[in-house]
Amino acid sequence: MPETDDPHELGEAEFRNTVHSFEFWFEAVQGYLHGRPYGSPGLRESELTERQRQGLITTLCNYCVGETAALDASSGMIGFAPDRGAKIFLATQVVDEGRHLEVLLHRMKQLGVADPDAEIEQRANRSLLKFKERLLEFVDARDWEASVFAQNVILECLEYTVFRHHAGTADPVTAEMLRGIVSDERRHMGFGENDLGRRLLMAPHTHDRLNQIKRELDSLVINTFAETLGELGVERDDRPDLAGDYLAAVARLGFRS
Amino acid sequence: MQLIAGERCALAASSGLVNAAPDQASKTFLATQTLDEGRHVEIFTQRLYDLGVKPNDLETTIKTYINPHLGKFAEVLLEKIDKKDFVAGVVGQNIVLEGMAFSVFEMLHAGAEASNPKFAHTLSGTIADERRHVGFGENRIGELIRRYPEKKPEVQRMQREMTKHMLATFHEAFARNGSPAEARTGAPQKDRAGPTYQGLNLAEASNEEMEGALSATVLKEFKTRLGRIGLEYQSPV
Repeated sequence: MPETDDPHELGEAEFRNTVHSFEFWFEAVQGYLHGRPYGSPGLRESELTERQRQGLITTLCNYCVGETAALDASSGMIGFAPDRGAKIFLATQVVDEGRHLEVLLHRMKQLGVADPDAEIEQRANRSLLKFKERLLEFVDARDWEASVFAQNVILECLEYTVFRHHAGTADPVTAEMLRGIVSDERRHMGFGENDLGRRLLMAPHTHDRLNQIKRELDSLVINTFAETLGELGVERDDRPDLAGDYLAAVARLGFRS
Repeated sequence: MQLIAGERCALAASSGLVNAAPDQASKTFLATQTLDEGRHVEIFTQRLYDLGVKPNDLETTIKTYINPHLGKFAEVLLEKIDKKDFVAGVVGQNIVLEGMAFSVFEMLHAGAEASNPKFAHTLSGTIADERRHVGFGENRIGELIRRYPEKKPEVQRMQREMTKHMLATFHEAFARNGSPAEARTGAPQKDRAGPTYQGLNLAEASNEEMEGALSATVLKEFKTRLGRIGLEYQSPV
């Protein structure tokens, strides 16, 4: 076992063996999962107006689309992951994404939604559905670089940006649930950054290809923000700069526009 | 080595099935199963390292020692997974593969309990997981088989193929390599009874007897579990 508590102080091989392991995952999640059924430590519901409730349901429907995309993609990627460490990491990500979906569906039921699947079908925004379709095309084509990039960089940055913003304004139960999800997203983004970082060092031409994919997906992400905020009835002047935050998060991982 | 190969197949199959699952509850269960199978791969790989295999030699060691019949067994299942055939995939994975793994682990556990408690403990955790996985297969697929009876012949063909390769795997494992090393480790002390599996004294049984006991146990399990989901066991003989 490594002698340091900080994995970033480890050499590359030991870093990967440590981070891509169940032990690491379990230690990471047990602090914020224990005693929090469905992502919430038994907080009291606050009163929501009908407009707020409908807005929240629409938002949760879109979150479910994103998490289903992440679940289907991360599970599909295990079959062509390049090494055992990546397979192990993705197995932990699969269960994270499955849990996210479960807590989001549970929250919808708490809000009185009887048939979440029907609501998702009706309320999901088109750009996000298109994003999901593109991501799963990369996975079906067993294109590792494009899949990791679309899933662990772009989609995770999208979710990270939106969930963090939303957690700051949401009712306490939803906010607590989102904070738990954000903690997982950080780990998933770290995997994408690390895996692609190594690949880009070895094959710099990959950068051009990923930038091309980024340009295509960026527009879907930015449209998703605009559509979601529009559906929520947020006035243009009051809208947070989610696109700017998203692009900054992706840039921090080394992918600039 | 064979345990890692089997668990790798289970990891590929359960993760591949998430995408093909027709409902949310199945996706969620398969997500937890993916985590379990990944952990099993990790645990058995670590055991190999403990036995002296170097991480850099892992893949070549597995390629060298994998039982070719087990490779074919996995191919039959993974072909269904690649086609996103959920019903066949779950029968192959959660009834056939898990049913086989469950019995093999129980035999290994019986052999290791007294002589290698650490490995026996690892196996008992794995057995508990497999029991849950088999339960999902029975529960979810029974309903789907009733809904899509036209799937029966194809699924039964797959079960027959997988059973054929499984029995060949057992035969080769016992005949060529001797009995699995872990099952033999519990040799009896002078005044103590040896480990038993299905009433068979593992320390004294011949390879043929051990193969017979394992095969009979797995096949009996298959018949029971397939019957519960409305399928008739197909003998490869």
